Amino acid sequence: MLTRTGIAVSPGVAISPAMLFGSQEFRIPQRFVSVDAVDSEVSRFQASVATVSDALGENERVAREQLGDQYAAIFSAHRMMLRDPKLNGEIETLIRSKCFSPEFAASRVLRNYAKTLQNLGNAYLAERAADVFDLEKRLLKTLLGEQRPELSHLAEPVVVLAHNLTPGETANLNRDFVKGFATEAGGHTSHTAILAGALEIPAVVGIGKFLADVSAGDVVIIDGNRGEVIIDPDEATIAQYQDFLKQRESESERLAALNTIEARTNDNVRIQVLGNIEFPQEVTQCAKRGADGIGLYRTEFLYLGSDHEPTEEEHYDAYCRVIEEMGDHPVVIRTLDLGADKIPGDIEEFRTKADNPALGLRSIRLSLRHLEQFKTQLRAILRAAVHGHIRIMFPLVTTLLELRRARMILADVIEDLEEEKAEFRREIPVGMMVEVPAAALLAHNFAREVDFFSIGTNDLIQYTMAVDRAEPSVASLYRAGDPSILRLIQMVIDAGRVEGIPVTVCGQMSSDPKFVPLLIGLGIRNVSVTPIAVPEVKDVVRNFSVEDAEQIAKHALSLDVARDVENYLRTELNRLCPDRISGSPDT
Amino acid sequence: MSDAVTGNVTVPGTNGLHMVPCSLLAQRASKFACQITIKKGDTRADARNIFELLGLGAGEGTVLACEATGEDAGPAMADLVDLFESGFEGHADRTSS
Repeated sequence: MLTRTGIAVSPGVAISPAMLFGSQEFRIPQRFVSVDAVDSEVSRFQASVATVSDALGENERVAREQLGDQYAAIFSAHRMMLRDPKLNGEIETLIRSKCFSPEFAASRVLRNYAKTLQNLGNAYLAERAADVFDLEKRLLKTLLGEQRPELSHLAEPVVVLAHNLTPGETANLNRDFVKGFATEAGGHTSHTAILAGALEIPAVVGIGKFLADVSAGDVVIIDGNRGEVIIDPDEATIAQYQDFLKQRESESERLAALNTIEARTNDNVRIQVLGNIEFPQEVTQCAKRGADGIGLYRTEFLYLGSDHEPTEEEHYDAYCRVIEEMGDHPVVIRTLDLGADKIPGDIEEFRTKADNPALGLRSIRLSLRHLEQFKTQLRAILRAAVHGHIRIMFPLVTTLLELRRARMILADVIEDLEEEKAEFRREIPVGMMVEVPAAALLAHNFAREVDFFSIGTNDLIQYTMAVDRAEPSVASLYRAGDPSILRLIQMVIDAGRVEGIPVTVCGQMSSDPKFVPLLIGLGIRNVSVTPIAVPEVKDVVRNFSVEDAEQIAKHALSLDVARDVENYLRTELNRLCPDRISGSPDT
Repeated sequence: MSDAVTGNVTVPGTNGLHMVPCSLLAQRASKFACQITIKKGDTRADARNIFELLGLGAGEGTVLACEATGEDAGPAMADLVDLFESGFEGHADRTSS
């Protein structure tokens, strides 16, 4: 049993055999493929054999020219082994009849051959086993290097362990079989982490090197609450986690009773709990859990999931789907917010190669440079707004000029639609994310020109603390509880109150129960949280009054360092909600 | 189909029927239409299959029984005997590359 700690990015616990995905070494990532993948896997195997054979032919040619025939003959012999029809037949049969992955099948058959040679009782011939192992290595290298095995063709529940997963790979994880994942790389609020939360797959990232300690098929526990990965756990640990899973299940049932109840503090102040979503499908979970609307609909998935830039109709269809399920509830659509850590497929050309992409051309800055793309999205939003309560939100607004330019383009689009006599909605609330300290400092000025604010704490923390959230060596500076963050949030809330516009907090801070009393104490009445956190946040809210919350906020603001703030908030949460079941079993 | 042609060969060299000779032998056997079986005691190997040949574990001086069945069994056997007698020298097959 081996426990490794990383960053918890998506809550929940998973216990399953490990599947290694795209590791650097020639480890076999997966033993089985699904029946419908067999043909393509056999082709992949055959293509790899051809590739290795060509490489051996080239080695043979070079060896003959530079070393002589006797050396060339070694490669010729390797090639003969590789091309051996019986060998290939055995491997293909294993793929077809047993659904073995080509990697597993090839390794098994070649190792069998090697073992036969080792058992011949002739020392020299026994050494030939090394040649067979070399062939195995070459073949695996080609199989693994050629393409990552299809994550969408899984046949059994697994936890995926990888060096890194791209957002695209994460988005394509098959939720029926992938019970959790853990990566060596990655940070707290990287796009992969956000996607994991969206998919509600328990996940731990930023673990550092650990793949060498795991073999495919080892049982692994992923504790997405505590940020731990337990490799090959002992029976007591497995039992403990299984008990815990049962406990969580009954807790979920208790919380499910809150689905139809509005969130109110115990002195009856209404708190809007909205959902943050990435995919249109997530709206179902939000509706089921009784969210008061969608406070943040991230539209990047439209760009990340496909190989082309989304058309106006694709935008429109996605938005309509969300509105339809939310009925009378508001849906806040954030325009494209692609950033440095959010690598798109087709619009990769827009990525700056700058040293400091987080401070570069991203988000609204990118939209204001690529007007066609921006207008396409705005047209779709305005057209979809006919069917429900849509609001537009611009991300990463830094200066008033940027905001005014974005509003001007919106006005242009409205004019275009009017000329075309298209069906659309003219009056639509326009808001902005407050996530750059410059915008927070000028919140009063901005508040006079928008209909609402939404505080994006993830970026606000990154830019205020000057810390790259994906950089492990400085990640500890990234703290939502830092007094500077609390001050900025307070400034924005005060500006909203004075200028008469609503302020929501989205971002991961508002999904963390310990920050909920603080935010309400600072004056927040709307929070937008990850869908899985909706019931829990509603539950927490019922346990205190606004006066309790204000006292907590007042005390928190008097503290000097993030650690003290967070410890205090944790203690207060436990005092207010003594019966809460925390995220992980007590170990 | 003609009758089987048989013959005995002795494994030359210092390292027995190792990888390279097996490979040469298999390449040579593949050029003929007939079926060639090499036997060491009760262990049989298809002369076209490098792994089966290796699996004979034939050390230096081992006497192997060869059996060729098919149209060109005669010339095939003559060629194999020649290959063994030459000690697999100078037979690296360039045509296969």
